[in-house]
Amino acid sequence: MTITQSLGVVTGSTVRAKNVFKDIGAAFKNMAGGEIKAYTELLQESRNEALFRMLNDAAARGANAVVNVRFATSSVAGGAAELLAYGTAVVAQ
Amino acid sequence: MARGEEEPFVGLIIAVIVAACTVGPWLLSLVATFLYQPRKRKVLLERETQAALKGDALTTLSKPFGNREIKQTKMMMANVVMSPSWVQMAIGNFMSLFGGQINVFTKVVDWARREAQQRLREQVAEEGFDEVINMRIETTMLTSTRGGKDKTSGVEILAYGTAIKY
Repeated sequence: MTITQSLGVVTGSTVRAKNVFKDIGAAFKNMAGGEIKAYTELLQESRNEALFRMLNDAAARGANAVVNVRFATSSVAGGAAELLAYGTAVVAQ
Repeated sequence: MARGEEEPFVGLIIAVIVAACTVGPWLLSLVATFLYQPRKRKVLLERETQAALKGDALTTLSKPFGNREIKQTKMMMANVVMSPSWVQMAIGNFMSLFGGQINVFTKVVDWARREAQQRLREQVAEEGFDEVINMRIETTMLTSTRGGKDKTSGVEILAYGTAIKY
């Protein structure tokens, strides 16, 4: 496979907040420390969503691949997290 | 007269409830910190040892070694959210008065990072890939707002890379 054309940077992002019930469960788990499964799953889901949006952006430009994908995460105030996925959309043959 | 006999009994119940609500969680936290967490870490160490016998599959190189042909690639990621327990938070907050290395926090973050990497290794092995190139590790602090103050409730570690199959 060789890259024949570069179509620029594509991004996808999503901001997610935890729901109250999961928050309560997490607060209990916080007492004991260790892994908080509710948050792990939530972040996994949101990251897949961000990735999906990035791929949609790439498909809209007519790319068939995205290379050098990176993730960035920042926590917005109030317990919400912003997840960003970005990469270079390319045409590969 | 009967009322007077009942009162110390009711007082005792209230005292027990109050004690359970204040000391109970801390006791639970103490047990979790010194019994539950070390056990989890031990399990992780065993998994790591098992994986290490076959050679580490993770690399941060942008290209694999050698000229072998790559048949298939896939992006893979593994994440984990870890939080220090109340007791660890209390010890950490106290130790930060003196500065220097804060061992309890180091332990938690190190554990989370190892766990994320180990999950990536297992995921890669499960799907039949040989190696991961260009692996990166991302860290995020999760905060929750309580009483107008941002409080750290955990740290999220994400390990991701390109899995390749020869």
